[in-house]
Amino acid sequence: MLTDHIEKYIRAHGFKGYTEIRAQCNSSKRFGLLKGTMVSNSAATSRGISARVVKNGAYGFASGNDFSEDGVSAIVRAAGENAAFLEAREKPGKPDFAPVEAVKRRDGFEAEDDVPRRHYADFAGELDAYIAKKYPGLSSRYVGVSSLNMEKLLYTSDGTAAHSYTPRSSLYIGMTAEDPDGQPVDLFESMGDWGKFTDVFDSPAEVFAKADELFEKLMKKREGVYAAPGLKQVILHPDLAGMLAHEAVGHTVEADFVLSGSVGGPCLGKQVASGIVTMTDFANTAFGKRCPVPVYVDDEGTPARDAVLIRDGILVGYMHNKESAAHFGVCPTGNARAYSFSDEPLIRMRNTCILPGHDKLSDMIASVDDGYYLVSTGNGQADATGEFMFGIEFGYEIKKGKLGRAIKNTTISGVAFEMLKTVDMLSDDISWCCTGMCGKKQPIPVGMGGPAIRCMANIGGR
Amino acid sequence: MDIREIARYTLGKIRETGADMGRCSVRSGESTEVYYESGKISMIRTVFSGSVRIAVINEKREGSASLNSFEKSEIDAAVAEAFEASKHAVPDDAEGISELEENRSFVFGKREPDRAALYGLMRGFIDDTAKEFPKISFDSISVSHGWSEVCYMNTNGVELYESNGLSGFEAMFMGRDGELTSSFNGTGCAFDDNTVPLIDRGLTRQLLAETERQTETVSVDGKFEGEIIMPPHFLSEVVGDACGIFITDNVLIDGTSPWKNSLGKTVASPLLNVTARSACPELPAASALTSDGYVARDAEIIKNGVLKSFLLSRYGAKKTGGARCPGWDAALCVEPGRDSLDAMIAGVKRGLLVNRFSGGSPAPNGDFTGVAKNSFLIEDGKITKPVSETMISGNYADILKNISAVSSESVNSGGSIFPWAKASGVTISGK
Repeated sequence: MLTDHIEKYIRAHGFKGYTEIRAQCNSSKRFGLLKGTMVSNSAATSRGISARVVKNGAYGFASGNDFSEDGVSAIVRAAGENAAFLEAREKPGKPDFAPVEAVKRRDGFEAEDDVPRRHYADFAGELDAYIAKKYPGLSSRYVGVSSLNMEKLLYTSDGTAAHSYTPRSSLYIGMTAEDPDGQPVDLFESMGDWGKFTDVFDSPAEVFAKADELFEKLMKKREGVYAAPGLKQVILHPDLAGMLAHEAVGHTVEADFVLSGSVGGPCLGKQVASGIVTMTDFANTAFGKRCPVPVYVDDEGTPARDAVLIRDGILVGYMHNKESAAHFGVCPTGNARAYSFSDEPLIRMRNTCILPGHDKLSDMIASVDDGYYLVSTGNGQADATGEFMFGIEFGYEIKKGKLGRAIKNTTISGVAFEMLKTVDMLSDDISWCCTGMCGKKQPIPVGMGGPAIRCMANIGGR
Repeated sequence: MDIREIARYTLGKIRETGADMGRCSVRSGESTEVYYESGKISMIRTVFSGSVRIAVINEKREGSASLNSFEKSEIDAAVAEAFEASKHAVPDDAEGISELEENRSFVFGKREPDRAALYGLMRGFIDDTAKEFPKISFDSISVSHGWSEVCYMNTNGVELYESNGLSGFEAMFMGRDGELTSSFNGTGCAFDDNTVPLIDRGLTRQLLAETERQTETVSVDGKFEGEIIMPPHFLSEVVGDACGIFITDNVLIDGTSPWKNSLGKTVASPLLNVTARSACPELPAASALTSDGYVARDAEIIKNGVLKSFLLSRYGAKKTGGARCPGWDAALCVEPGRDSLDAMIAGVKRGLLVNRFSGGSPAPNGDFTGVAKNSFLIEDGKITKPVSETMISGNYADILKNISAVSSESVNSGGSIFPWAKASGVTISGK
């Protein structure tokens, strides 16, 4: 738990101009077994103080790991000197941000990760032993368990004094088999949620079924075929819809990307998707439940609120920090987030989700004459043009409304605002991916969600 | 703060646990960054850092812990935690620490950042680009100086120290013409002197010029199998990914590497020479030490297409019965060849100049598929149109075998040196 030296510093010195001071501790545990060989058994703590000072639009930032009152003082002074140096040269001449509502908040520690490391080792060991015994023909297997807990204390010159605690636990299973030509074929599954490890995962036995499911898919994939390349009608499993929301659309409507020239800029107020598509970056609560990565106050001290991005197919807004909100003349949405104590807040997504529709997944598959049902993804990437791609780790051909052969790894791509206009069916359920990490100068945990989607996409293959 | 003292203290605490062996790595540093985003030089950032990594091995069981504090009480607690973790680790004969060879210290570069010089490089780069390439819009630019020192010690008596101070820059940019936007492109390098304008470093000027031309693109019609030209930044990704899939610890430990029995055999075109290089004046960002506790040494990985060494760490070598690569963790480089880049392009009937690849993770057999970004069609020996929504598919092992030319020109990024290469057998497809 963080010790609060900042409050003492502020009582003694106050704020000189716009200032944020943040103390943060990221603690993680990891245990991994590769074919029974232990490849990780680690715990790490990264803890420190940062300050960001803004002088007429010039930002100065500094961070260090000295937690004493003197340490806080030195960091605030260094940030102020950096801001003054830049302001003297660039003379941006911008007014201070409009004050936001001061937040006084303190998260409880009911979820604090007091799970001993032995538990991680035992959990992974039991799951690995199950897979090894039941599936001896695998050429390799991987079981990894991990947790990442982020605790922050934030004080701003706006009057915010906020404490947040965000625990997250994850489990990874990987399997590798040989295909009929003796070439390795693999498949991974990740799962996780907000909370300490023992709250998210009751026992290894509860995930045995996931391991069985993964093995069945792998056996189909080892007999899989290359996809035929080109523009195809596809059904995206709900797990892929979240990736679509995040990569294809989300990045292009982060206000800093918009200011840099992303395709989201000229499209505001225009039809960018079919009328059945609505998409929101949820702050902390969606459909009456806590989101995978709940953010109640961001790292600039702004109370977090939902950012509606697309409503009924029309691009209606962006995700903002204080500066971009001032530029566009809107309220900040609370999207300014930093990964580590030594990172400055950037505009980041939180829980980006395409809202569900009214169709049934089975009807959607039955409706496709010649296409693909794409089930799981590994990674994705966005572009300023709105052109996106994500890797497909598992999927099936669809022939005359029925699932056919599994396919080998492939990639799909498209231009987001063209592809979204082809969306003509959405399933009535959604799923959240709770293990996602987004990379944009810094990593950050994100939630991604959505329903199954029928649309057109460019698929790679041979 | 003397990090050697902290390392000695930590090692003393490891010994006090009674464990069979242990190691620690203590690091401290300071970095200064000038940052540009959203159309302006927005921020100057200073980061002071320090960390301690601890590993304890007892009865062939390893436990580890890391922290970013030099407080003795916190180091004591981390050592105790690592020792505790070792009790429920999986026993493994291959666990261990580096052997004592020769204790060395290496000192490179300047420690003190020159904030005004970094700012001057940034301002100069923005002004130069605006003048020469008015259609370029930057998403972000980072110009930084980082100094760090690391001390590695273990219970075999190994004591290694390295400090390095160097500057670097990274830029992400796009072309804009009215409402038209190109794909993101990027460049960057590391350097130990601040005298050369950033626009003159590496391929920066060429990439800016190419990106300006990429606001209007075409998609390839249908699909065809063609040749690709791989510029240095893309070739480094191909070689790096191929090494990761075929010759590193995990895939050799679990036996899934398709190259597991290929040591001493031809795995690539005879034109391909891959080396792992340690710190030298030519590569200021390369490290003199490896993270498994040795002095880094140059190593041949692929010589005239023959696989000469796996990239195994100390642990990987013990685990597989192979030889540790003395250049493990060092900078991967490809030696220049004999062909001129112009002649290589002139020899392509129909193919792509692939500047950037955005794709899913490669499969364990080396299959890859993804989007060719910032890339150009090559027709009848000439670079013609920029492409978008164009995908490429192939296999890394096949690409390395199908290299038909390596350029005599190369680019030094400060941490690696790569030439251009030409390869066939790639499926290129449009919508």
